[in-house]
Amino acid sequence: MVKKLPIIAILVFFATKAFAATAVAEVAMSHRMTYLVLELAIIIIAARTFGFIFTRYLKQPAVLGELCAGMLIGPYALGSFDLPFIGPLFSLPHTMLPISPELYGIATVASIVLLFLVGLETDITTFLRYSATGSLVGLGGVVCSFLIGDALAVWFGIAAHYMDPSALFLGAISTATSVGITARILSEKRKLDSPEGVTILSGAVIDDVLGIVILAVVVGISKISSKAGAEIDWAHIGIIAGKALGFWIFCTAAGLLLARKITGVLKWFKSPDLIAALALGLALLLAGLSELAGLAMIIGAYITGLALSRTDLVNELHDRLRGVYQILVPIFFCVMGMLVNFKAMKGVLLFGLSYTILVMFGKIIGSAIPALIMRFNLRGALRIGIGMLPRGEVTLIITGIGLSTGIIGQDIFGIAIMMTLISTLIAPPLLIKAFDGPPGIAKSAKDVDSSRERKITLNFPNVDVAEFVMSRFINAFRNEAFFVHRIGARLPLYQLRKDDITMTMYRKRGDIFFEMSPRSECIARFIIAEEMLELEDAFESLKTMGGTKGLSADLISGALSWKA
Amino acid sequence: MNLKKYFTARMVTVDIKSSSKADILKELLELMRSAGAIASEDLDEANSAILKRESKMSTGMQDGIAIPHARTAVVKDLVAVMGIKREGADFDSLDGKPSNIFIMALSPENHPVPHVQFLAEVSQRLHDAELRGRLLESKSPQELLDTFFEFKKRW
Repeated sequence: MVKKLPIIAILVFFATKAFAATAVAEVAMSHRMTYLVLELAIIIIAARTFGFIFTRYLKQPAVLGELCAGMLIGPYALGSFDLPFIGPLFSLPHTMLPISPELYGIATVASIVLLFLVGLETDITTFLRYSATGSLVGLGGVVCSFLIGDALAVWFGIAAHYMDPSALFLGAISTATSVGITARILSEKRKLDSPEGVTILSGAVIDDVLGIVILAVVVGISKISSKAGAEIDWAHIGIIAGKALGFWIFCTAAGLLLARKITGVLKWFKSPDLIAALALGLALLLAGLSELAGLAMIIGAYITGLALSRTDLVNELHDRLRGVYQILVPIFFCVMGMLVNFKAMKGVLLFGLSYTILVMFGKIIGSAIPALIMRFNLRGALRIGIGMLPRGEVTLIITGIGLSTGIIGQDIFGIAIMMTLISTLIAPPLLIKAFDGPPGIAKSAKDVDSSRERKITLNFPNVDVAEFVMSRFINAFRNEAFFVHRIGARLPLYQLRKDDITMTMYRKRGDIFFEMSPRSECIARFIIAEEMLELEDAFESLKTMGGTKGLSADLISGALSWKA
Repeated sequence: MNLKKYFTARMVTVDIKSSSKADILKELLELMRSAGAIASEDLDEANSAILKRESKMSTGMQDGIAIPHARTAVVKDLVAVMGIKREGADFDSLDGKPSNIFIMALSPENHPVPHVQFLAEVSQRLHDAELRGRLLESKSPQELLDTFFEFKKRW
């Protein structure tokens, strides 16, 4: 008994030691999680409040408000203040990024969700229809702004040579257009379907794609050049660029080809909520795989979205993921704002200003010249150039990746954010001014596209009847296995989608309009005709009741005879 | 949409015997029954659903095409049959001419099925006069199906 004591003592000693170690780890972990939760709380509240103030009172996009919220509460501003009991909430950890890895992890997931949805929103059909002018406009804007951004970095001594990763990054940051802001203004001015409007929309698609491809190549190049020193190894760069482009093309093609199969499998699960979760899982999976393949994670997410954008699931996915988006994405923008180190920007402010102005100039000129050559007059070309100005999500994501991989420093990061802020602030008023006045298309090119869309018009005696009939049409199309999606909550405008058929249905007072491609016209006519027959039947049977007045009188008298 | 999956040789006849509208409808339903697409006891219900639709407006369209159809609870999925009557029959068609190519379709009620889309796509395909001519010359159900599906689209 006595002999055994030391053994037990040793066991107890090690057990308590081990327990203490786990306990310490657990305390540290729960301490970190507490901070994370507090940080998230502040971020969500601040970001959404600022976003609200910016949209409601300053008439600016919410993303600017969220960025500003981040700058204000970040570790370089209020976040560093010592709070009672908990200390500074956003203290500076000694890593490459001024925020905690946990928080950055959440921002990364948010950026994947964001790019998945950007891909999902990409309207390839519109893009293909106006692809000739759109591609040239997009390409012109990208090439021009990329070259200016890249060259400025060298001229100002930020980078040693044109192939330096930081120079390439300054080029890449300047390429992507955030079409959301332009689209909102154009839809408010009812210019979204003008020739300039559709050209901007399709040009912005090319812009995003090229911006992300350039990012892929630049990240690839930076990974090798950071190892190999300053020597430019063209062969190696060529391989990297080829690999990045190859992965991009392969995944996009495979995604678009397999989209039907994938949605077929997803639809097997029946529940839209489950489908949305699985699709998001797929986006995360491809994001991880693309990082493993040497590309950025967002590329995989974007490709997944792009592939699913052509399927009839797109509106369902959009509706289901809106909640996730609205919580996560403001966190991302806010975190991007938190990363801005104002002190680090001091030395490069002159560069920042010239960079912002010249890159914007490059974007306008680069987009306007192809438009001018194609079929627009000077006014139209200028409208298109300005429409391509706003920066946003993709720019911020690319910038964030640059900072986290160490390709750009805090000074350049600040400049990039500044450029995003300024071009997004300047574009809307310019755009509103630019779109006043006569059409921007060269006379000879008018009416080129109008013959391609077919229109069916149904006139009804009044708004009430039209409204009722429209609700019947919605059900009729749903019954034909179409996905019916309301575009915009305030307009009676619906998109009807099934496989590769897309139609729009809208109501103006007592008239209902359908718009579709000639190929879908036959189906639309049949479905509408069948539903009209059903309706006639319904109205006839109502008449056989001898009118509804008797029924109404019964209901009213019943209502008045009710006693409490 | 893939029309092929709805038609097999058992769902097709190249020789409709009846000559009145009501009898042709019954004969096509009988074809559905013999192919196992609907049960014998459901024939009446299916027939009245078809007749109800015909009472609203005849499904005899132009160029000899007729597409009698209905949504009814007796089927679980879209089922269709195709029949030919070379000499044609009066089917109250829109253009007043006799009908000679019949496509009958039944789909479940209140269930998302491309019912009208199916009819629209079949009709669109039959819009071609040369295809219609060749279909009417078919000697066997298989030959009719081969002609129908292998005919090169020209729109």
